Amino acid sequence: MSGPDEDRLSPPLEHSRSIPLPRPFLPHLQVVMAEPLGRRLTDAGRFACAGLCGVSLCSLFPGEEQSSFRTGFIRGLVGWLQLSEAVLPVMEAFASGAGEEGSHSFADLLREEMALKDAAILIPQDLVSFSLRDGYYDSRARVLIRHVSGLLQVPFEELEVYEESLVKSLKGHEAEDSEQAESSQRKASRRRLKRYFLIGLAAVGGGTVIGLTGGLAAPLVAAGAAAVVGTAGAAAIGSAAGVAIMASVMGAAGAGLAGYKMNKRVGAIEEFEFLPLTEGTQLHITIAVTGWLCTGKYGSFETAWRSLRQCKEQYCLAWESVYLMELGNALVTLLNGLLNMVAQEALKYTVLSGLVTALTWPASLITAANIIDNPWGVCLNRSAEVGKHLAQVLLSRQQGRRPVSLIGFSFGARVIYFCLQELAKETGSKGIIEDVVLLGAPVEGGAKAWKALTKVVAGRIVNGYCRGDWLLNFVYRSSSVQLTVAGLQPIALEDKRVINVDLSSIVNGHLDYMKQMDTILKAVGVKTKDCRLEDQRNMSGLPACPHALHSTMPLRPETLPSALSPPSPSAAGPQTQPNHPPHPTPEFLQQIWWRIRVKSYSKIVSGAWSLSSGET
Amino acid sequence: MDEDVLTTLKILIIGESGVGKSSLLLRFTDDTFDPELAATIGVDFKVKTIAVDGNKAKLAIWDTAGQERFRTLTPSYYRGAQGVILVYDVTRRDTFVRLDNWLNELETYCTRNDIVKMLVGNKIDKENREVDRNEGLKFARKHSMLFIESSAKTRDGVQCAFEELVEKIIQTPGLWESESQNSKLRLSDSPDARGGGSCGGYCSML
Repeated sequence: MSGPDEDRLSPPLEHSRSIPLPRPFLPHLQVVMAEPLGRRLTDAGRFACAGLCGVSLCSLFPGEEQSSFRTGFIRGLVGWLQLSEAVLPVMEAFASGAGEEGSHSFADLLREEMALKDAAILIPQDLVSFSLRDGYYDSRARVLIRHVSGLLQVPFEELEVYEESLVKSLKGHEAEDSEQAESSQRKASRRRLKRYFLIGLAAVGGGTVIGLTGGLAAPLVAAGAAAVVGTAGAAAIGSAAGVAIMASVMGAAGAGLAGYKMNKRVGAIEEFEFLPLTEGTQLHITIAVTGWLCTGKYGSFETAWRSLRQCKEQYCLAWESVYLMELGNALVTLLNGLLNMVAQEALKYTVLSGLVTALTWPASLITAANIIDNPWGVCLNRSAEVGKHLAQVLLSRQQGRRPVSLIGFSFGARVIYFCLQELAKETGSKGIIEDVVLLGAPVEGGAKAWKALTKVVAGRIVNGYCRGDWLLNFVYRSSSVQLTVAGLQPIALEDKRVINVDLSSIVNGHLDYMKQMDTILKAVGVKTKDCRLEDQRNMSGLPACPHALHSTMPLRPETLPSALSPPSPSAAGPQTQPNHPPHPTPEFLQQIWWRIRVKSYSKIVSGAWSLSSGET
Repeated sequence: MDEDVLTTLKILIIGESGVGKSSLLLRFTDDTFDPELAATIGVDFKVKTIAVDGNKAKLAIWDTAGQERFRTLTPSYYRGAQGVILVYDVTRRDTFVRLDNWLNELETYCTRNDIVKMLVGNKIDKENREVDRNEGLKFARKHSMLFIESSAKTRDGVQCAFEELVEKIIQTPGLWESESQNSKLRLSDSPDARGGGSCGGYCSML
């Protein structure tokens, strides 16, 4: 995303010789700073631009609770675009649901506008500048800009390049500080830049804390600092330091943030730390939350997220590794030692058919239940606590005032779920979270419970589920029958933001969420980098972890009785179908189930419950 | 308050630049008049509830800009309109002559055939009249429109223009009833219609 594209989009740069910044990055900035879009568009164009935002605001953020954001945004935008006050009433009407029919003519007109003939990207770019004007990048603003880019047929990737260029030019300016020969004009422009874009870009070594809030966010930083250094310390910082000092002080305090906070504030949590996944700073960040660990290959929090490239600045939450390790090992023991593949397949289809009740679980599984139930129970509680704590960290804006996307699987998804529930209870929590991806989440899947999440998430809420995840079903066996589990089925919530993705064809069991993460990420529309070739070879060859069953024994349809063969992943692909669950015929499965029970009864007693392919 | 409203009607105001479309609307909704009213940018929108024959109707009124440069923005608001007010200035013959163009545009972009049209000759308070009342009446008859002359400045005919239009719309049941029936359909259609479709995907594989 560099070179020719940007050159085409940006007009020739006159001052390029005098400014020693990397060339690709400055032009965009100059366009925006030198000539606001308001002056480049005709008044019909400006009206269309504001109107397009108004209509989009309403379709993206409906509901009474978002009305103040909608009006605030649209009012600011009318002023920013230098439109007459007279259009305010109609813009507010757009933002509250009237005139949906106009959005396409707005978009068409904008594309045709003379000034934009070749560069419709200027409009979303200008919206980014507008959104950043107070040093606060609201996640809702970013989602809106994403939406508007789509309507204007501007690839959002190009816009991300622009966002990056803003960050980089800011850094460039900072590095330039020592240089003497600066014209007064450039000084002024630099000041302006800082005011606009200095929103948490201070990078901290050691990987403890997410980028820090600086600049205009000082009051919030002080609030966060109180938690770190105690009230007295925070008061001292607040009084003595200016904005710049504050940023550096936070850097120092931030390094010790994790451990201190945990002991002090939430006694139950033993580990809570952010590990950087990718180097880089961006105007938005992604936090990935791992769901379990196990000895060997999957022993670190980062492993699952190797290929995650949702954005340049990504972190991974390290939490309660001891318990997650215990859980993961229990899962592996259960799956490797106690149940063979065929039995697991049968279980999978039994779960699919909905036949499972507390009585029909194989006896061997029931005897083995204590292996899994205990760590599972512990993690259920811990993940909820960690989630609530994560909410507090995000609320105190440790990450800076910029949008955060969250992604997690298994218990990581549970952490996120509780984080969002906690945020929904707090005030001032809107506009922090951008997108959320929950995979195989062991949480309640009722529409009512999930309704709360839509209040705090600006973009998409992806629920990736697997119908045949018998493990999830098993651990919830003692719960009331009515309880729906999000990781097993779609969320029946009528909201544009909620997207259910059926991963049944990719995920063969709960362990696969870790192992197939790359494929899953692609299926749910999260950006990934393709693993390097050597990596792929390693993965398909000898497994590093002897417990990693799935990678050594890929399940092939021909090794199973034909009746039981699962749909081939390549043929079926990920299915996004919220309302029509794929179900095998119940009678048929009942038949199979009984055969399994009868034939292998003796083996059940001995604890080696199995079913060989020849027996059916 | 919304409960006793019979229906919501979409009304459109069109006509040449400067004929007094926004002034008519302002007089109707706010009962004010501003001789120095600036040209409308793009489109304006106002809501007003009125009672006609004991029926309450909520009017969503779209006031379009007459100026040429906004001409690409306005047609999308024709869609789904139940009534249109076509305005000309009785002191400017050119605004009357160009009514044909407006009717053409209406025909092009409007989604229904039975839309109720009202022709309004505005600014009758002014001395230098160029278009006779009978001319307007004749034109309206020819194109089967309602007709009234008005003055936003003196209030003459303004209320009447909107009321008659709404009355006519309500008397044309197909025009607004289909709307409410549609919304009812959508309600009963909505979620939870699962169950029946539970057999998919995997069946074929077994």
